[in-house]
Amino acid sequence: MKRQKLTPEVEALYLAPLPPEEFERRVRASIAELDGPEGENLGELIDWFLRRYPTPAERLAYGRRAYARWLRAAPQA
Amino acid sequence: MEGTEFSEEAFFAAIAASGARALLIGRRAMLALGAPVLTADYDYWAAFEDVETLNAAVAPMGLHPNRSPDEARRTGRYALENDEHVDVLIARAATTVTGEKLTFDDAWSRRQTVRCGAADVALPSLDDLIMTKRWSMREKDVVDIQFIERLRRKKP
Repeated sequence: MKRQKLTPEVEALYLAPLPPEEFERRVRASIAELDGPEGENLGELIDWFLRRYPTPAERLAYGRRAYARWLRAAPQA
Repeated sequence: MEGTEFSEEAFFAAIAASGARALLIGRRAMLALGAPVLTADYDYWAAFEDVETLNAAVAPMGLHPNRSPDEARRTGRYALENDEHVDVLIARAATTVTGEKLTFDDAWSRRQTVRCGAADVALPSLDDLIMTKRWSMREKDVVDIQFIERLRRKKP
């Protein structure tokens, strides 16, 4: 499968390592969010995914299709 | 190319049949467990001793290592490649910058198995999968940890 190259700006934001304290702070904050609306939204998304694709094989196949769709739609870096 | 010729089930079956101790980690593992995330490649954490077995298992599918087994052991990682890309970590243990250590043997002993068609796929426990996400400390990993934690809360 072809891999999408990220722009340097996106790569820096998303894939560059964070300082340890900042990483831990963001992890704590993201887990705390699970007790609120963000957790509900994520739960609904996971429920839909498990309902629509009930087996691991179907979920993995979805992942390949979704990535291929994203590749077709993504601007060339 | 969408990689439609690649049979994921045959790939997983070949690894399972070989006896190579290899854990599917990363976003592909998250997908299998129920998190709808995007990923391009496959990430495995394999036993230090099982590099040759793993390589032989996937060679008939045209997946070839980009490093010799000795070089891969020295560097701790390599990739299996054709149209697909499989990153393989072969460290005996990995430690986060905050000092939390996870050995392969412990992760393997706590593994969970999911069925993919006719093939069994070995995955880390949710706790260990979270730990693997703490190794690189990227924003992407923060997002993934939140997803995995939410999956853990769903577990009975």
